[in-house]
Amino acid sequence: MKTILPLIIVFCCGFYMLATFFIPARFSQTSSQTLQNWYLGVMAFFVFIGIFNLIKINVDKIQRKLRDWQYSIILLTFLGVMLGAGFIGGRDSKVFLYLFENFQVPLGATMFSLLAFFVASASFRAFRAKTPEATLLLIAAVIVMIGRIPIGYLIWHKFPDLVEWIMQVPNTAAKRGILFGIDLGLISMALRVLLGIERSYMGGER
Amino acid sequence: MRVFDYLSHLDRRIIFLLVALAVVIPMLVPLNLPVDITGPVKNVYDKIESLPEGSVVLISTDYDPGSEAELYPATEAIIEHCFRKNLRIYMMGLWPAGSELGNMALNKIAQSYNKKYGKDYINVGYRPGGQVMLLSLGRNFGDVIKVDYQGIPIDSLPLGGGVKSARDISLVITFSAGDPGILHWITYFHARYGVPICGATTAIMAPQMYPYLSSGQLTGLLGGLKGAAEYETLVDKKGRGLRGMDSQSIVHLLLVGFIALGNVILVYQRRRG
Repeated sequence: MKTILPLIIVFCCGFYMLATFFIPARFSQTSSQTLQNWYLGVMAFFVFIGIFNLIKINVDKIQRKLRDWQYSIILLTFLGVMLGAGFIGGRDSKVFLYLFENFQVPLGATMFSLLAFFVASASFRAFRAKTPEATLLLIAAVIVMIGRIPIGYLIWHKFPDLVEWIMQVPNTAAKRGILFGIDLGLISMALRVLLGIERSYMGGER
Repeated sequence: MRVFDYLSHLDRRIIFLLVALAVVIPMLVPLNLPVDITGPVKNVYDKIESLPEGSVVLISTDYDPGSEAELYPATEAIIEHCFRKNLRIYMMGLWPAGSELGNMALNKIAQSYNKKYGKDYINVGYRPGGQVMLLSLGRNFGDVIKVDYQGIPIDSLPLGGGVKSARDISLVITFSAGDPGILHWITYFHARYGVPICGATTAIMAPQMYPYLSSGQLTGLLGGLKGAAEYETLVDKKGRGLRGMDSQSIVHLLLVGFIALGNVILVYQRRRG
């Protein structure tokens, strides 16, 4: 029963939602809307589970003095400060906005911008024309990199057009092929889940 | 060739230093390079130009501070254009920090155009739920949005009360750094309700969007900082996008130089066996 009941729920809910998509009748639309609203309620609850989980993991790390446990103290301190500033002063309070604009935004941007340094290092060490395919990729990459900057336009005014052609023709063709593959895979997987063939979401059983 | 032997073992800290210099020097000494306008960016501009005054544009800030450098300049440029055209802005975010970033741009630009909160623009904040939320939203905004980001009942605001479903939205513009984001808007909002979608994405995401551009499911696209710089050129307002293009130009040239040098070393090593 522990296996059969979830399968029945998935089968009924899944096919019902699929059917309502194609049936414009008032009852089917209202009921599917209700189910969607339930889903949104559950999704909102996930935020609290996420915060709870984050606190639990980091408190555990501090208690057991695991590697880099000091960072967990900083994380929990600022989690508390941001939550406190938001709850006490509201999201438009000076403290909350100051912390967001002067801590969270520059720290997030810094983390992402570190990628530029690693990409530069990788382009020197790893982006080599070792095979015909790699050579083709390399040539396309260099054209796109030069064509996507103002200097590219100054070097040759047709560079941006060439980049647009690469994007609109070979890139689009390849992406379409990949997308069709992904979508067919998704449909097949969805049917497997709805029909109970794929059961790994229930704990690993297939 | 001792030079190639030395370069093949080049300390990566030297590469990091060169990248840092390529970013910083153009910021201190601007080159003011001219920016060409590409078709997908012009399409966004033309779409906004074509909307009648008072139309409601839904702006969704689906990114976080990690992508702020690429997407915030585009956010500012497009909000500027919308207010200049007297369009009304309905802002929300599919990412928790996105609505805060959008709010920063919205409040800053609204002041300079004397726009009133609740009448000319509103922000309903972060909305979780991804694709299911978008399906519900298109059908009935009231099911998903009951208060704005400050907790004010949405029906008490003239703009909030006036938007009941997707039919009341003239255009969706999403600033997207991943999932949930632009693909959900195209798949669930455009496909189901027919609302035109424009987007600004990080440069790495832009190539994925071209199939949707060519099919017409996506009306226009700003790709990365270059897209923002192009839009700033179109609305004639120099911002972080245009200023950043000088640094980006030099860094791209540096990367092309690194790639070329790396391959010259490869050829040299092959010849030496």
